[in-house]
Amino acid sequence: RNYFPCRAQPKKKKKVDVKREQAQKDRMKKKIKKLEKAAPEMVPIEDFTTPLKYSDSNRVRSLPPLSFEETERRVLLMKKWCLFKQKQDKAEKKAIQTLVEAQQEALKELRLESEELYQAAIRRDEGLFPFEREGPNYTPPLPGYDPPEGKCVDITKVYTQ
Amino acid sequence: IELERSHYSDHEIRKLEEEEQLRRRKESAYDDDEAPGKTVIMAQDLEDKWEQKLLRFQAAPRITDADKNNNRTSLDRRLDSNLMLLVKQKIGNQELWLLPQAEWQPGETLRSTAERAMATFFGDRIQAKILGNAPYGIYKYKFPRAIRTENNVGAKVFFFKAFLQSSDLSQAELKEDYLWVAKDELGDYLKLEYLKKVNRFLLD
Repeated sequence: RNYFPCRAQPKKKKKVDVKREQAQKDRMKKKIKKLEKAAPEMVPIEDFTTPLKYSDSNRVRSLPPLSFEETERRVLLMKKWCLFKQKQDKAEKKAIQTLVEAQQEALKELRLESEELYQAAIRRDEGLFPFEREGPNYTPPLPGYDPPEGKCVDITKVYTQ
Repeated sequence: IELERSHYSDHEIRKLEEEEQLRRRKESAYDDDEAPGKTVIMAQDLEDKWEQKLLRFQAAPRITDADKNNNRTSLDRRLDSNLMLLVKQKIGNQELWLLPQAEWQPGETLRSTAERAMATFFGDRIQAKILGNAPYGIYKYKFPRAIRTENNVGAKVFFFKAFLQSSDLSQAELKEDYLWVAKDELGDYLKLEYLKKVNRFLLD
């Protein structure tokens, strides 16, 4: 190793170097911060844009126009359906109303009996939610049915920053 | 199939094109330019295959054996409506068909009384989910004059609702007579006043 005569100048260089390096680091950090701030790109929702291959003209069906009887039938059917649905809705609401009334009555009677039981009954049931129940099927499950095996490949696109 | 507001799907386009090809082949008397090994499986063949498979599948019938026999003790009966449990109990000196009930002991909440009632009738290994802490309905009646004392004039019966989780009741031992009954058949078994109050909080 050679020890050259040291002077003030090399020391200055070192200080300037250090300062320059620090300045460079700060600039880099600022750039990184700017990039990170401007980062959030919107992930495109693939269900909202129809892919182009489905807007070809050869895809359009050619159907005969609807007859007068058919349109009439449809309009009348729609009216009957509206009436049916209205009745169904009213019946449901009435049932719920009686349910609530019956429960209120029960709670009133309970309060007359004992305050302590009433307080215990009013408390929230923690184990109730999340409530899970199997939905109604059209046909009951076949005993001893072996569903055919298949493979499911997940092709959803994952967007990363 | 929705025809009016839809476009042709991939499968339908394939079918149409293959029909076109077949027609062209017949009209222009056998073009052997297109390699015969190209379209081995036609879309029509696939459709036929799927149709066959559908016809071979037989779903379970909606009206089960228990419906035909009107066997009211089985849970397989009316699969499209809710079934309620009725038990024959002795109240005073009368044997009545009732929703299962147990007397409240001081020191427990009403819900635990309901759970105890279930345990007495089903044994411990039953899974039912009680909905909420509050009662759904109430029936109060006065004792006949012979039994009335100064404090006890009558009794109040509070009803709770619970869903049965497992339909496998072979493990449970029901000691007395029991029935699984739909809402409209309740009238066959319950007394009038009791029935009126019970119908209010039961949905079909």
